[in-house]
Amino acid sequence: MKRRPLLLAALLIGGAGGYLATLAAAPGFIMGVAVERSAEAIGLNRMTHVAPVTFASQTIVRPSPDLAYSSCPFDLAAGPLLIEVAPVPGHYWSLSVFDHRTDTAFVRNDVQAKGRPVRVALARPSQPTPSGLERVELGGDRGIALVRILMASREEIGAIDPIRRQSRCRPL
Amino acid sequence: MRTGLLVALALLTGLAAGAGLAIAQMRGGTMGGEPIGGPWTVGAKVGTAEAGLLTRATVALRGLLALPPSEARYLNATTDSAGAALDGRCRYRVKGGAVEARWWSLTVYDGEGRLLDVPADRHSLGSAALPEGGARGWQVALGPGARLPTLPGPFELTLRAYHPRGTLLAGTATPGLPVIEKRGCG
Repeated sequence: MKRRPLLLAALLIGGAGGYLATLAAAPGFIMGVAVERSAEAIGLNRMTHVAPVTFASQTIVRPSPDLAYSSCPFDLAAGPLLIEVAPVPGHYWSLSVFDHRTDTAFVRNDVQAKGRPVRVALARPSQPTPSGLERVELGGDRGIALVRILMASREEIGAIDPIRRQSRCRPL
Repeated sequence: MRTGLLVALALLTGLAAGAGLAIAQMRGGTMGGEPIGGPWTVGAKVGTAEAGLLTRATVALRGLLALPPSEARYLNATTDSAGAALDGRCRYRVKGGAVEARWWSLTVYDGEGRLLDVPADRHSLGSAALPEGGARGWQVALGPGARLPTLPGPFELTLRAYHPRGTLLAGTATPGLPVIEKRGCG
């Protein structure tokens, strides 16, 4: 009879532990898979400019068909990374950097950039970066940098594409 | 010895059940379950370090790379304004007015957050195509063969509001969000 409370307590403790551990581990696991898949498809530490998303081409959940995406899956294990984003006049655009836990580590949009290019260095706390370069420190090696550009229509991609191809990311 | 084995089994069973519950909640969750007006819900701290465990995990699964609220609000509807689940076999009218944001768009997804296999990839409409229309506002047809087409089965609507202002930015009750009216089914 004395075993029953003990077993119930073990069940509850195990349940709470399993629940919390799964929720805590999920973002890192999902981001790891996303970076891995992107790296296999387009490589690490380089910016890739993808065509406007369609039913057939969607690779991530909940993509926006209104946006032209450029992405740079990165790994800072070998050193810091430089990201340069060219402004697209007359359009909403932004650069966002997502860390290994899927949190937003950095966002800069067209209004904040005031029509100027964005240049930032992504680095771990222990990695030095050139002075004069805006520095974004990350708590993990891996993540994804994403450039979003609003298109009034899908046809606008022809005019936007040559400009966004000036945006890049590369090891420093 | 036998008690120890039973305790270990109970712990393992609990672990598995807890993990299963967490996965079910993530899969069944939306981009944030806090009501903000009508059928719309929002995740108050999506994309930020302040997001809770469940919000962060759900967004990672169902809306990876979501922006923080200062940049964009993601409102989600899985029901119409009368509370009935959105059904791709039914016809709806979505009506609205000014949205407190720099620009916004409505996108149709299936229950897993994927775009539908609809003609001409017509998945979204937004402020660029739907001028606010003064006092009368704007409206758009949603359903099989409509301007914003659906396919049979459950679906979701996501309202993206970039550079939100006022209550939309705060993530608190926002009056005047789009109304989703069912017009008929089948």
